[in-house]
Amino acid sequence: MGPQHPSTHGVFRMMVKLNGETIERLEPVMGYLHRNHEKIGERNTFIQNMPFTDRLDYLTSLSNNFGYAMGVEKLMSLGARYNPPTRRAEVIRVLMAELTRLVSHFWSVGFLMNDIGAFFTPMMYAVEERELVLDFFEATTGSRMMCNYLRFGGVANDLPERLRSEANLINDRVRDFSTMDYVWEMIFERLPRAVDQFDEYLTTNEIVTNRCIGVGTLTREEAIDYSAAGPVLRASGVPYDVRRAEPYSIYPELEFDVAVRYHGDVYDRYLVRLDEMRQSLRILQQVYPLLKATEGEAFFSGRGGMYSPRVPAGESYGRVENPKGELGYYVVSDGGQNPWRYHVRAPSFINLTALERMCLGHKVADVVAILGSIDIVLGEVDR
Amino acid sequence: MYGTGIWRGMWITLRHFVNTYVDDVKWGFQRHVPPEAFPVRQGLQGRGSFTVEYPEEKIAVPERFRFIPFLIVENYDHPERPGHDWCTSCGICAKVCPPQCIWIVRGTDPETGRPKPEPVDFYIDIDICMNCGLCAEFCPFDAIKMDHDYELASYDRTGNHIFDKQHLSKEFRYWQSIAPTVAEKEAEARGGWEHKDVLKARAKEAKAKD
Repeated sequence: MGPQHPSTHGVFRMMVKLNGETIERLEPVMGYLHRNHEKIGERNTFIQNMPFTDRLDYLTSLSNNFGYAMGVEKLMSLGARYNPPTRRAEVIRVLMAELTRLVSHFWSVGFLMNDIGAFFTPMMYAVEERELVLDFFEATTGSRMMCNYLRFGGVANDLPERLRSEANLINDRVRDFSTMDYVWEMIFERLPRAVDQFDEYLTTNEIVTNRCIGVGTLTREEAIDYSAAGPVLRASGVPYDVRRAEPYSIYPELEFDVAVRYHGDVYDRYLVRLDEMRQSLRILQQVYPLLKATEGEAFFSGRGGMYSPRVPAGESYGRVENPKGELGYYVVSDGGQNPWRYHVRAPSFINLTALERMCLGHKVADVVAILGSIDIVLGEVDR
Repeated sequence: MYGTGIWRGMWITLRHFVNTYVDDVKWGFQRHVPPEAFPVRQGLQGRGSFTVEYPEEKIAVPERFRFIPFLIVENYDHPERPGHDWCTSCGICAKVCPPQCIWIVRGTDPETGRPKPEPVDFYIDIDICMNCGLCAEFCPFDAIKMDHDYELASYDRTGNHIFDKQHLSKEFRYWQSIAPTVAEKEAEARGGWEHKDVLKARAKEAKAKD
């Protein structure tokens, strides 16, 4: 199957040995989108890697930035003259990371429905909400998907006062919203309503339950053995979340639950994603007052215009809970301008290794659903 | 009861279907969204479809939107230095560019042979540029900025996709028009609307007068 199969989420190939329609062996073939990310990372200076991390998992660029920024900040904190990120910066980072999680889960649930045959209707409902969040990203960071927003010691820019567009091409139409009102309406009204609607729309749907329950089961032990992460791990009954296991940023002071389900099948992964969206909204609703309280404070602790920060020799591992799982950046520095070694622990890649285990004994049509439930992004799988 | 989930789902689909037309009815079935309805329908209040009929109407991009960089030159009707580059060819943008797509040719003074603080030529390979905006962020003279014009399709990719200085240069006025609040903030940081060097020279002059 693949690499141009419409339901492989990109250029991904599976070598499948079939008995009739039952899967006997399955071997994922990766590398069609290999871009030499890690080697390029060693050529680049530290700040230059930031836009490249956007391109790993291109649906969650802000979380990717977050992990890398944390990795390098850990390293910088070993040396002299390092200021930790300001409070405002941390609040904005968490706001962005959680919005990214919502966007990514909307997308993945929509695509899971696509894979099991509900072509594009649920996906479009999901993308509608994603569109609004991306509008906010665009006005704040300058780009819808390739945000390149975080810097070592803060963020690149404060939230704008107004989400305003400027007409400068022919036929341009202008929009103008107050940022805080926009964020408020988004996280208190529009998105919760959308999540509830999704829940009502799909969770009890008989077609969804028939296709998903009991398909692609991964037991607790297997999930741990394959070192799966994120929703795949949590759907198998392991309540492991980096935000709780190794709290970073302002997560310790926020109240949220780690979503966990116990059957480890496609349906549970879907439910975990829904639960996580609810938890993300809960976090966002706590972040909003913090955002109000820190308004006007510094969003960057370093010196402005510093394009090559001094990073002392050493090694560090910065990890965040990405929507797809644990995303880790291993950075080794020899004290020079660029990282000496730069390695990415990509969650979709590692979750994919468990694909064969999940698919054995199921039908070809189920493979598509299982692949959809892992929620891979090929940019991250192949790097 | 078996099947209720499907019916509930269909009910939501129907609601979406009706919602698509509610806004249309409210704004009188105009083919293109009327200007006063646009922010409502394209914002969080939007209930119906988000469709924008692209060439006939476009969503204006926000001020911070980043596309291919451009070089700022002084306004052509500037009294002292019309059309003068703001760029001093210090090379920081080329150094910080992640995919390394900027190439600067530094100018030399024909009389003394010393390097002159302005570029003779300035190339950006827009096929390689990844629109990250680091060059604009780290330019100490606010001379390179990210553009908003995303309509760059051309028929010939061999000759048209390496922008030279002439192609990249745009008036300062243009930057003020596409990003008014950002430009104002930068001017505040510089201490005036003019180029940093001009302001510095002026301050020096004023000091000498005293």
